[in-house]
Amino acid sequence: MKRFIDPCCEKCDHSKEKPCQDFVECCTSGPICHESEACAAKRKAIMEKASLNEHFVII
Amino acid sequence: MHDKHLMICGATGCLSSGSAKVQEALEEELAKRGLQDRFRLVMSGCPGFCEVGPILVVYPDEVFYCRLTPNDIPELIEKHLIGGEVVERLLYQGPDVEAPARFYQTIPFYQKQKLKVLHNSGIIDPESIDEYIMRGGYRAFSRALKLEPMEIIDEVKRSGLRGRGGAGFPTGLKWEFTFRAVGDKKYVVCNADEGDPGAFMDRSILEGDPHAVIEGMLIAARAVGSDEGYIYCRAEYPLAIKLLKKAIEQATEYGLVGENILGYGFNFKFTIKEGAGAFVCGEETALLASIEGKRGMPRPRPPFPANQGLWNKPTCINNVETFANIPLILREGGLEEYLDVGTGGSKGTKVFALAGKVRNTGLCEVPMGISMREIIFDIGGGIKDGREFKAVQVGGPSGGCIPTEQLDLPVDYDSLTQAGAIMGSGGLVVMDDRTCMVDLARYFLSFTQKESCGKCTPCREGTKRMLEILEGICEGRGEMEDLDRLHDLAVGIKDTALCGLGQTCPNPVLSTIRYFHKEYEEHINDKFCRAGVCKSLFEYYIDPEACDGCTRCARVCPVDAISGERNELHIIDSELCNRCGSCVERCTREAIKVIPVRKEAEVKS
Repeated sequence: MKRFIDPCCEKCDHSKEKPCQDFVECCTSGPICHESEACAAKRKAIMEKASLNEHFVII
Repeated sequence: MHDKHLMICGATGCLSSGSAKVQEALEEELAKRGLQDRFRLVMSGCPGFCEVGPILVVYPDEVFYCRLTPNDIPELIEKHLIGGEVVERLLYQGPDVEAPARFYQTIPFYQKQKLKVLHNSGIIDPESIDEYIMRGGYRAFSRALKLEPMEIIDEVKRSGLRGRGGAGFPTGLKWEFTFRAVGDKKYVVCNADEGDPGAFMDRSILEGDPHAVIEGMLIAARAVGSDEGYIYCRAEYPLAIKLLKKAIEQATEYGLVGENILGYGFNFKFTIKEGAGAFVCGEETALLASIEGKRGMPRPRPPFPANQGLWNKPTCINNVETFANIPLILREGGLEEYLDVGTGGSKGTKVFALAGKVRNTGLCEVPMGISMREIIFDIGGGIKDGREFKAVQVGGPSGGCIPTEQLDLPVDYDSLTQAGAIMGSGGLVVMDDRTCMVDLARYFLSFTQKESCGKCTPCREGTKRMLEILEGICEGRGEMEDLDRLHDLAVGIKDTALCGLGQTCPNPVLSTIRYFHKEYEEHINDKFCRAGVCKSLFEYYIDPEACDGCTRCARVCPVDAISGERNELHIIDSELCNRCGSCVERCTREAIKVIPVRKEAEVKS
């Protein structure tokens, strides 16, 4: 998962064809549809890469 | 993970002062030292302080480096990035700070600003939708998708947001008109045809945070029931257009633009239309005509675009900054926060482009209600070269000028209108004591006259007649009755011109007559231009008390009109002098004075 649009695992199936209503919230606070520390860590890794400081991410 | 983030301003202002070369040097030097993975380099949007560009801000340290050149890069890498020591000589320094300002927030230019619309500019990579989302982006749209159209419109109405493009019409009301209008098809149009000389607020928003405008338009579309939008952007903004295209592509890939957005059955698509640069195409009905492929000319209103706009369909048209405000209002808890800023009749913030004779030129975002004095002297750092403030032109060529006596005027829609100016799109041109206010009125009127589309007689003919009168006054052919003629013509044009541009174009003339009447009288009765601008109405004279015979003025004179030996008094031959002003700029003792044109007898004596 390099970008938020990439699925974190096989459980995520958001796509243009099959959109998820929670997609935007899921990017920074997900995963929402399932529980997985590994999937949450993947999102965190994307955010940490671009975060300039501790105030950067606004949830 | 990166050790540091290096945010270089990649917006048009800094690019023109060489930021691309600085970026290239940084890339090369980091690669040469094998450090490219430790430090992230981003061409960001505009941090606003254009005067001191190229700008680089190092995060997380928040150290602000300015006026960089490629030659500074090895030292910056060696000392700061590797050694952890701030390079003091590259920090901001100026008369408004006691010592070099190390941190972003300690620079006076930023201290009175309230960055809301510009909160991402210079902070994120404008080419990354992920970073926009990390900063809370698309949350407001996601929320709006769950609301009923009238619920969205009510929030925008309650926010008190007024159009940031010029007229200040309440945005929520405009959206309600479009929502209630009957039509099988509706459009949302973004006016990015920023045409005021010296104004670049919209360009900076588009270059620094393009997704904010896209999100604002998506929310508007959801509210009014539209499935198609246009962004009308002038072709002179190639970077803004490139970034917008990329942002739309990304939002489409993410399922935020297109069909059945986020599964709510809502569809929306964007088209970018490049304008050819006609000033009149910033007027909404002319802009719509231009999108339709017709000549950009306004048409009478009503019907307003909300009822009959693009291809006669109901159309919601707002400008870039207005749309960029929308996500701030619609996000969770955003409305309450929004209402905390501004005045009773003017909520939120306003982005201004500070230009002219002010020390700190650039872009600033301030809360509505701040005084003009604070903008010019605290943020702008006062007048260049220690000269005196004379006036500030607010609202572009159709705006008005505010004199010294009005410096404490709160900057909001109603106060500015009462003072004879307009908020306009946000251009602020500051003038010092060397500006002639009659010439200024002539200059702005010549701009609007040239840009008049010619459709209506008051604007086409009236501005031409006004311009002829002003040219006459500037050339010494004026008479006092001209002031009445100017006033009558101005009022006539205001009352009868077809569009907003025509109706407001006499503003610079009316406001200069109102606040600088004495200067007009001097031009007409004494044939004297005190500021030394109107060439037929003054002479240069070297003050014997002040001249030390340094020869600087004589050396710079392009027509050899100045004579005198070193260490002796110099003299200007008025017959030869072409009043270019080069000698005045060069003289360090202010020995060259502006005096009325002398008669032959006076010269001989």
